[in-house]
Amino acid sequence: MAISIRGVTKRYGPVTAVDGVDLEIESGQVYALLGPNGAGKTTLVEILEGYRRRDAGEVSVLGMDPQRQRSELNRRVGIVLQRSTPMEGVTPREMLDFTAKLYDAPMSTHEALELVGLTDQANQRGSKLSGGQKRRLDLAISVIGNPDLIFLDEPTTGFDATARRQAWEIVRGLTARGATVILTTHYLDEAEHLSQRIGLIKGGRIIYEGDIAGLRREMESDTRISWQPPPGFDPSDLLDEWAALQAGADGRLSLPTQQPTAHLAQLIDWARGRGMGEIPELQVERPDLEEMYLELIDDSEAQEQARPQ
Amino acid sequence: MSAAVTIRTIRLGWAYMLLNMRTVFRQPAAVLFVLLFPILFLVIFSSLLTFEIGLPPEAEGSVPAIKFSQYFVAGITASAIFGTSFNLLGTSLAFQQFDGTLKQLAATPLPKASFFIGLVGTALAYTIMQMVIMIALGVAAYGIELPDAGGWLTLIWIILLGVPAGCVLGIAITRVMPSANAAPAVIQLPFIILQFISGVFFTLASLPTWLQWVSGLFPLRWLAQGLRSVFLPDAYKFAEPGMSWQLEVAAVVLAVWIVVGLGLAVLTFQWDRSG
Repeated sequence: MAISIRGVTKRYGPVTAVDGVDLEIESGQVYALLGPNGAGKTTLVEILEGYRRRDAGEVSVLGMDPQRQRSELNRRVGIVLQRSTPMEGVTPREMLDFTAKLYDAPMSTHEALELVGLTDQANQRGSKLSGGQKRRLDLAISVIGNPDLIFLDEPTTGFDATARRQAWEIVRGLTARGATVILTTHYLDEAEHLSQRIGLIKGGRIIYEGDIAGLRREMESDTRISWQPPPGFDPSDLLDEWAALQAGADGRLSLPTQQPTAHLAQLIDWARGRGMGEIPELQVERPDLEEMYLELIDDSEAQEQARPQ
Repeated sequence: MSAAVTIRTIRLGWAYMLLNMRTVFRQPAAVLFVLLFPILFLVIFSSLLTFEIGLPPEAEGSVPAIKFSQYFVAGITASAIFGTSFNLLGTSLAFQQFDGTLKQLAATPLPKASFFIGLVGTALAYTIMQMVIMIALGVAAYGIELPDAGGWLTLIWIILLGVPAGCVLGIAITRVMPSANAAPAVIQLPFIILQFISGVFFTLASLPTWLQWVSGLFPLRWLAQGLRSVFLPDAYKFAEPGMSWQLEVAAVVLAVWIVVGLGLAVLTFQWDRSG
């Protein structure tokens, strides 16, 4: 196991940012911590990296405790931070030459520049690099020491579509070297393209753990049948039969179901039995993973806005 | 620490110094500030303050009275040494702590000791350049005589003790800075006060005794006094409060500050205050 943690908790005053997380990540895997902003991804990752102290729980990263053995751990771990500030006035070549000296068996500066596609900007000062080029430099700095484990904290946030595709290619190049990669992202497609396993994190807890296909099965399992009952109709006998039936604020009824055909037939019988010709606003829909995920994000963003400052 | 670890620590410190010097030297504002500031001070004050410094009665007659400007060369040189180490380092370090530059460095296996060595090395290199410029100016414009062999030796050990003392205090003081924007103010306040009470702008003898005592607790006064022993005729030691250059005291005070400051720096240093 590259990473094994149990019951990890971090509180900031009354807010519990990470809430008793258990996680096992196998060596050589690309693992995505997926979740909306403010879900606790960065806090969790910074605990694993050694930047933050946990309030409770056990952490083992490459067999070490990042809180106590950080300097040892730093020799084998590469970190791309969510935000980075390059040293002013220093070129990528100079920065990489220096960084390479810190490790026992680094790759060459040339190789690192090639890997991230920064060869042409090797001699430009850090302040003259574009946002994307700075991000590439971050990647090069984090991998030049040939780390066994790489943390990428939101590596493509703020990128346009083309830059993201390019960044994905670079990350794939890194993972081809056999390192374990922990990626945090709030883009579902990024997790899908890059990782073998994901942990979906929300409100400081991991609410799903497994592969994307499993998440798809879990989140998409239910088809939704919904309609607007005309005024005066009492749906209580239906409620008795279908415990999962939900009534919206506007009175609209919806039923999540795994047997949509059978339930639809029952609904039609029920409506006929009441002399309803057409069931008003009848809909049968199956939200896809992307929609479910966006709903989840919206939900937490609304929560965050509601939270007192 | 084994020899191999020590060698690695120093080697990486040297590497960081070279990198850090690029950062500093490629910022025109920083270069101008540090190199030009003491020189401007020297020129302006020397033009304004043209009175002479008298010697106490027992030494009078042995050497001619000197102009304050000559006295001031030593003081402003001391101020430059302390300013480069304490002031410039403390401010730039605070900026790097708050903007996350050092957060990236904290993720690498760069030892903290190497990082500190690199910072001190940068300040030393800077100081040596300042010294060359200021001594050249002092000789050319203010008739300062170049020191003899003993004087050069004193100058060297004063720099070698004064710069690290200023550096570790500069590192330590970043801990009390609430933000990067506050850094220059936080660092200027003690620096300005020390300049006024340490014999930089005024002769020590013109200060009340208790203030002389207070200044004696801090490094700047001893830097200035030591440099006066380098740049002024020996008879002017009678103008010092103790009627002597007190170089041994200077060495002890600076060494104690290095030890105390290093302890504080190691205990309080934070790579990252951006979060």
